[in-house]
Amino acid sequence: MYQGPNTEFQGAKKYVLDQELASIVNISMKLEMPLLLKGEPGTGKTMLAHAIAESLNMPLIVLNVKSSMKLIEALYQYDTLTRLNDSRFGDSKRDVSDINEYIKMGKIGQAFCADQRTVLLIDEIDKADTDFQDDMLDVLDQMQFDIIETDKTITARNRPVIIITSNAKKDLSDPFLGRCNFHHIAFPDPKMMRKIIDVHFQDIDERLAQNAIDAFYTMRDIDGVEKKPATRELINWIRALNADPDFRAKDLVKGQLPFLGVLFKKSPDYERATNIASRRRLF
Amino acid sequence: MFLNFFYILKEIGIPVSPTAFLTLQKALHLGIIANLNDFYTCARAILVKSERYFDLYDQAFAHHFEGVPLPDSDGFEVDEIARAMLDEWLKNPKELADALGIDEEQLKKLTPEELIEYFKERLKDQDGEHHGGNKWIGTGGTSPVGHSGHHPGGMRVGGQSRNKSAVKVAGERRYKDYSTKGPLTQAKIGEALKRLRNLRPAGPKDVLNIDETIRETMKNAGEIELIFDAALKDRLKVILAIDNGGWSMDPYIHVVQTLFDYARSQFDEVKTYFFHNTIYDSLWEDPARYKKPRNIMEFTRMDPETRLIIVGDASMAPYELMANDGSIHISERSGRPSIQQLNFLRETFSHSVWLNPVSENMWGYSHTILAIAKIFPMFELSLDGLEKAVSALMRKN
Repeated sequence: MYQGPNTEFQGAKKYVLDQELASIVNISMKLEMPLLLKGEPGTGKTMLAHAIAESLNMPLIVLNVKSSMKLIEALYQYDTLTRLNDSRFGDSKRDVSDINEYIKMGKIGQAFCADQRTVLLIDEIDKADTDFQDDMLDVLDQMQFDIIETDKTITARNRPVIIITSNAKKDLSDPFLGRCNFHHIAFPDPKMMRKIIDVHFQDIDERLAQNAIDAFYTMRDIDGVEKKPATRELINWIRALNADPDFRAKDLVKGQLPFLGVLFKKSPDYERATNIASRRRLF
Repeated sequence: MFLNFFYILKEIGIPVSPTAFLTLQKALHLGIIANLNDFYTCARAILVKSERYFDLYDQAFAHHFEGVPLPDSDGFEVDEIARAMLDEWLKNPKELADALGIDEEQLKKLTPEELIEYFKERLKDQDGEHHGGNKWIGTGGTSPVGHSGHHPGGMRVGGQSRNKSAVKVAGERRYKDYSTKGPLTQAKIGEALKRLRNLRPAGPKDVLNIDETIRETMKNAGEIELIFDAALKDRLKVILAIDNGGWSMDPYIHVVQTLFDYARSQFDEVKTYFFHNTIYDSLWEDPARYKKPRNIMEFTRMDPETRLIIVGDASMAPYELMANDGSIHISERSGRPSIQQLNFLRETFSHSVWLNPVSENMWGYSHTILAIAKIFPMFELSLDGLEKAVSALMRKN
C-alpha cells in the first residue's frame, strides 16, 4: 500500500467535507475497499473523487460508464481495425506481428498500470446493466485481469483508491454491494450549504449568499416538483445573480427571483416555480 | 466484537453478511475506529449497503447502545386476525358477538369496513398476547366500548440520550425518508422499469461487425471489406391498459399518471388503452372511453411477444366480473363475461401482469381482486411490486 506523507483525506480546496464522509473515505482506503456513493444528483459524489485526488496528490482516472458499455472496454481494447489496416498497407511504424502494439489500456487498465497510486472514479455505474457490475467484481476483487489476445495478466501495481457513484434509487446487485463500502450523501443542510457556497465564491456578498440560500431552500420545498434543484444549480444560480449588474440582494427577500430557469430545468417545474414566486411577490 | 449488534441488525431486517462483519472486525483491528462516532459511521458504511436501511440501522443502533425499544411490526398480523374475525362473523354472528361480549344488533349496523376497524381496535385493546389468531375468544367479557388502551405499534418515547452524539444522531432518524415505503416517483418507476428491455438490431447499419469484416477481408485476399450491422435498439412492444373510470381509481390517479408518463417517454412502441373497472369487449384509445374503441379480439393479430401491463384496482361488484352482461355500459354487453375476456387476453399475451395500486395486504378483502389475481400475476404498484412485475414480464418462456 502506498504510504505517502499524506494518506489521510481531509478535504480539498473546492470541496466541503463533512466529518462522517471523511472517516468513511479514510476507512475505505485503509481497508482497500471500493467506496460506493449514492445520493441525489448534485450532492457532490463525483466532486468527492476529484477532491480526494487533489488532496492526496494522486492522479485521477475517470471511467464514465455508459449504458451499452462492456467491461472489456474499461479494461483494454484490442484495436483490430488498425492492425488490419497496417497489415494491408504496412505504412506504419508498428510491428504488425506483435499484438501488444495494438492493445490499448482502458480506464481501469490505466489505473492498474500507473506507476503511482491513483484515484479511480467509476462514475454512474447504475447506467450499465447488471452484467457489467458482476463482471467488474472479480477484477476489483483480484486487482487483476487477463488480456485474452496475448494471454497476459495485468496486475495492479498500486491498488487504486476506487470511488464508485450511483444515482439509482434501485440497489445494485448483492455480491457487488458486498465488496464495497457504502455511503449515501444526504442533501446538505443550509449551514453546510453556506460553507459550500463560501468555498466556491471567495468574495461573495454576505447578504446575497444568505438570501440566495434562503430562497433556494424555500424553492426546494415547493410541492410536486419533479427535479429539485441541487447544489450544482444553486452555484450556477448565484453565478448568474452575480453576473447581473442590475440585481440587488434584497430583491430576493421581496420575492423577485430572476433566472429561475437556472434552478428548474423541466418546463412544468419551471412554470410551477414562476407561479409561486410571482404569487409571493403580491403578498 | 459487537456480535449482538450484528444479530440485531439481521433480525430487524437489514441484509447484513458475515463477510461484511469480518471486514468490520478488520477495521476494528486496524485501530482506525477510535470512538462510538467512528463506529457508527464505519459500521454503517461497511454493513449497510442501501440508504433504505439507514433508518433501520439508526433504530438498531439506538437500541443496542442506548436501549431505545425497537418498534413492533404487528400491523399486518392484526389485519390478518381482524379478517379472520370478519369471516367468523359472517358465518356465525351470534357466537362471535357472545364471545366478545357485545350486542349482535350493534355490530350488525356496521359496514364491513367499520367492522374490521372495530375488530382491529379490539385486538389492540388487549394487553396480553394475541398471537396465532385464535385467542380472541379468550378475551370475552371486556367492555366493547372501552377506552383505547395500550397500542402495540403506537407512539413511543425515544430513550434518553446521555450526550453520546452518535446515539443522538441515530435517535434523530435522519434517514426516515429513504426507507422503502416512500411514494412512487417517476425516477423510481424509471429505475424499476429499466430492465424491461428487449434489444434487437434496428435502424441504420452503422456498427462495424469486426468478425465478419475480418472473414470477408480474408475471402477477399486481404482487400479490406467492411461489414456493417444495425445497432441494437430496444424493440419491446408494450401495451398499457389503464383503469381510469369511476371514482374507485381516483386515489391512485397520481401514481398511474407517473407510470403512464414514464412509459410514453421510455418505450418506442407503447400503446395505451383505457377501460373502466374491468375489460369487456373493447379497450379504448381515448381516455374518455368514447371515440376509439378497439375490440380485444383484434389483439390476437398483435405480436404475442408484446408485454401487456394492466393497471387497475380490480375492485368492483362481483357480477361486473362474472355475469354475462356485467358491464355497467349497455353498449358493451356481448354475452361474454369479463372474466372470460381477461382469460382470453392472458392466453394471447403470455407475458402479462396486473398492477394493482391497492396495497397488497388489502387484497384479501375484495373478491374480485382475488379472482383476477388467479388469471394475471398481480403485483402491487409499488417499487418492490414493479420490480417483481418486470421480472415476471421478462421471464423467458
